Amino acid sequence: MILPAFLTAEHTTVEQQIEQILKQALSELQSASQTSQIQAFSVQYLGRKGLVTQYLRNISQLPAEQRPMAGKRANEIKYILEEALQKALQEIETRQAAEDVGIDVSLPGRAIFRGSSHPITRITRQISEIFTRMGFAVAEGPEVELDHYNFEALNIPKNHPARDMQDTFYVSEAIVLRTHTSPIQVRYMEKHAPPFKIIAPGKVYRCDSDITHTPMFHQVEGLVVGESISFGDLKGILTAFVHQMFDDQTSLRFRPSFFPFTEPSAEVDILCVMCRGKGCRVCKQTGWLEVLGSGMVHPAVFENVGYDTSRYSGFAFGMGVERIAMLKFGIDDIRKYYENDIRFLKQF
Amino acid sequence: MKISLNWLKSYVPIQIGVNDLAEALTMTGLEVEAVYDRYDYLKTVVVGRVVSISAHPNSAKLQCCMVDIGKSLVPVVCGANNVYVNCLSALALPGTQLPDGAVIEASTIRGAVSEGMLCSEAELGLGSDRSGIMILPKDILASLATGQPLTSALNLSDTVLEIGLTPNRSDCLSFIGIAREVAAIQNTSLSYPEIKLPEGKNAIRQMTSVTILAPDHCPRYAARILAGATVGPSPHWLRDRLISVGIRPINNVVDITNFVMMETGQPLHAFDFDRLAGHRIVVRTAVSGESFTTLDHKSRTLTADMLMICDGEKPVAIAGVMGGFNSEIEPATQSILIESACFDPTSIRKTSKYFGLNTDASHRFERGVDPEGIVFALDRAAALMVDICGGVLIEGVIDERPVVQELKPIVFSAEATNRLLGTQIDSAVMDSMLQSIGFTVEPLNQDQRNVVPPSFRVDVSRPVDLVEEIARLCGYDRIPTTFPVISEGSAQSFLSQNSREQILQLMAGLGFSETITYSFVHPQSCKHLRLEPGDPRMRALRVLNPLSEDHGIMRTSLIPGILETVSRNISRQSKNLKLFEIGNIFVSNGQDVLPDEIEMLSGLWTGARHEVSWHTPDVACDFYDLKGVVEALLAALHIHDTRFFRNAVQLCPYLKPGIAADIQCGPQVVGHIGQVHSETLSSFNIKQQAYIFEIDIRKLFAMVPDVHQTLIIPRFPAVARDVTLILSKTIESSRIMEMVQEMHDPLMERIMLFDVFEGGHLPSDKKSLSFRLTYRSAAETLEDEAVNELHKSISDKLIQKFDAELP
Repeated sequence: MILPAFLTAEHTTVEQQIEQILKQALSELQSASQTSQIQAFSVQYLGRKGLVTQYLRNISQLPAEQRPMAGKRANEIKYILEEALQKALQEIETRQAAEDVGIDVSLPGRAIFRGSSHPITRITRQISEIFTRMGFAVAEGPEVELDHYNFEALNIPKNHPARDMQDTFYVSEAIVLRTHTSPIQVRYMEKHAPPFKIIAPGKVYRCDSDITHTPMFHQVEGLVVGESISFGDLKGILTAFVHQMFDDQTSLRFRPSFFPFTEPSAEVDILCVMCRGKGCRVCKQTGWLEVLGSGMVHPAVFENVGYDTSRYSGFAFGMGVERIAMLKFGIDDIRKYYENDIRFLKQF
Repeated sequence: MKISLNWLKSYVPIQIGVNDLAEALTMTGLEVEAVYDRYDYLKTVVVGRVVSISAHPNSAKLQCCMVDIGKSLVPVVCGANNVYVNCLSALALPGTQLPDGAVIEASTIRGAVSEGMLCSEAELGLGSDRSGIMILPKDILASLATGQPLTSALNLSDTVLEIGLTPNRSDCLSFIGIAREVAAIQNTSLSYPEIKLPEGKNAIRQMTSVTILAPDHCPRYAARILAGATVGPSPHWLRDRLISVGIRPINNVVDITNFVMMETGQPLHAFDFDRLAGHRIVVRTAVSGESFTTLDHKSRTLTADMLMICDGEKPVAIAGVMGGFNSEIEPATQSILIESACFDPTSIRKTSKYFGLNTDASHRFERGVDPEGIVFALDRAAALMVDICGGVLIEGVIDERPVVQELKPIVFSAEATNRLLGTQIDSAVMDSMLQSIGFTVEPLNQDQRNVVPPSFRVDVSRPVDLVEEIARLCGYDRIPTTFPVISEGSAQSFLSQNSREQILQLMAGLGFSETITYSFVHPQSCKHLRLEPGDPRMRALRVLNPLSEDHGIMRTSLIPGILETVSRNISRQSKNLKLFEIGNIFVSNGQDVLPDEIEMLSGLWTGARHEVSWHTPDVACDFYDLKGVVEALLAALHIHDTRFFRNAVQLCPYLKPGIAADIQCGPQVVGHIGQVHSETLSSFNIKQQAYIFEIDIRKLFAMVPDVHQTLIIPRFPAVARDVTLILSKTIESSRIMEMVQEMHDPLMERIMLFDVFEGGHLPSDKKSLSFRLTYRSAAETLEDEAVNELHKSISDKLIQKFDAELP
């Protein structure tokens, strides 16, 4: 065995030699400041021809009684050195990392096309969620509709002035583009017995086009039918809806109105969300915004679908999604919804 | 409808402020849409004193005045000859808009500066005198200085309410009707106009007759005759009343009929009696094809069901809609027959709609007039005509009434009313509520009443109509707020709702922006898609009355709408677009039956593949980008077994041949995908490539599993082996993958295409495809030799089947 220079004459015993190797190794490690020094250290002591390795290999030449002690100690020393080496390496890395300038984290990330939901879809979803949480089911129906379902069954006979309330697109004498989603309610009633609570969202069509009207727009209508459903219940449900849709401080006002398919009928105004009732351009200085039409289902409508009017009562309501979206998002021109300018769409 | 408060005060005292009145009317169901000051247009007209007058340098007819308006002297050029020094007059300052529309401006009139206009009564809309400037009495200066607004000097003040009436409240289409509501609000009484009728000596029945041949259309017809009247302009008060509600004065006779209509709600018509052939009236339906000239000088062809007022020979008026040119009141008219009648609302509406003639009269008849108010209105008009037009009123009234509509009592229950409203109003309180608005109430028992509505409430016929009255009078705000008690069992959402919602969210998540386009499109759009005549998408439903040709048909595909959106965005410099829409298309089954409505999803990608940035080069998207989107969408919906087939060109002529595919899920073709055909692009004025897909999502809804089983994660490692095949370009990669899958080897887990190469050293009709096959056993770790053997056998089969070579 070729002994290194730091083993002087005083290190005569095997034990003394191995302890000296350890001492020397630890002090060298302490002064190492580069990864390359550590690598050299690793070769010098722990490598295939390293001192500790050689020492271990030579144990077999020791007298038999010394071998167990020497072997145990040599393995301990190997372990201590390996640990110390890892620690030294980590320290160097930590120090180097602290000095490194790293990457420019302010560079933009790899861009991903962000998609968006149309504001009308978002508001319809929000309205539907509020009502489904209150136990309403969602019903759908055709957009091109029979005059019967759109008008006649809803107590709006031909040649009645109430038809003027809705400018209608006709496909033929008997077929119209639905002017409201109420025909869904009639179709639903024909197939289901009370009690139930439904909402009917969808596209509707009226011949009208200006800053507040588009020939196609969206409604969500609702219908609740059961035994002893009252006008008070109508107020309760719509108040709960408005409080969830806007906020629970929003005041409501129910005022008498007329719809052929409900009686009594009520328009529902909310305190202007823009000016809080002080009067502004949005509420035309009135302090109130009309957001919902509603009323107790007219007995003629129930008679048309064969419900027992002495047993069942109900209420219906409807709202324009565009109008609510205008209030929620501060949109001032309804036509923006259908221009589909990507710079508009991306905002939702 | 406009309501002047000054006029309204003739029937009811107004005890509350204007805003409170408007609010109260709104809350009883008469929505006040606007409140405005009638004399707002006079706010820049002031009292001025003419301090000096000098001759105009360039005109003999004009004079130059200096007018004192308190804080300054204003030079005014004046053409009136009644102006004198120290006179007080009305000076309209620059900015004033006079009732005739003229706007006063500071100007130079033939070389002389004029900074206002001295006005006549007529010019200010305050009277009929247009002979000279308005001279104000000197004593008004006792309380007012010059420069004060004319409205304060003359005590001109009136407020006009604009009321939006719902179609059921025909009883409120008059001043008396509104006054009745105001009286109920204030709990005050209503005063009706006093009618004094001086009677002459001749009996009316000897002069004329009324024959009703169509009693279904005309249940009542009353008439009076005034002889020796003088037709001329109305007095100022009458003109003023009409102007205040926006009606143009014509002559005294016509003005009186309009005035009484506004007062009572009963439309009247005045005929020149001497021009009625046979001096008589016949009410009948028209002869089909008969032509008739109305007051507006238009000739109209009549149809058989129209109700006409005729004389002994011919029609003289379209009943309830418009009078005839042939019996119009003229300056020389002396004898007048005044008509006050009741017509069937439906008949009037049909006729009015047919001719597009919506008159004040037809508006009221369509909604129903008070059958008991007919003679009152007639007498009121007759009395005013005697006063204003002179002449002699012929004694007596013609009042033909072939049909008397009985006022049927309605059985009303307080208990049922409280149940429907959710209230606990005492039945005695309900009785007095109904009585307060003119209903008669007769008790049947503790709970029930026989209620007869007043004749002017033609809208009330059912018990629920009375419930509405109770709710209205109680005040909606006083009805307690409650919650319905309904079993929750009925609430369930439809699967389609959930799946649609999922698709909406997934598409947005995949980077697409949702658009909503109109369901109607231009009739040319099918042509733009290059559709052949037999294509089902050529079966478009026509809209009979579209707003414009652009909206002429219902869409049979979402693609035209999306391409139009692309075109619009590109013109606004947004060129990188990922758009989608979910909506119905409509395939006609003929105009008289409902069309098939099919819910579709369409997605489009044009422009860049990625947003260009420092590390991302500007690369255009291609077919495989959009195909990847469809694959991701279907996978996320748990719809597997999706395949793409080279598309038959005639199915999608709007796609570029060769870059178009059917999307097949299981056995069904659910949609198409491809590059948009260049001709279609240029029809929409798009100059960049675009990729589009359209899917019938009803078919997808049916495939989305309600629940799906998860797969077990394998315990043993997989082994991968690659194979590269050189084969003909005509062989689609999917055929190789499918063949491998169809071998159904239990150890073959997956095949993946990882490289496609063409060109280089390969012959021009060949390509090289590299596949990685993954092998795995569920039971053990596979040995290399076993895998090699299996891989070789699969490779050999592929080589043989596709006539391929190894590299």
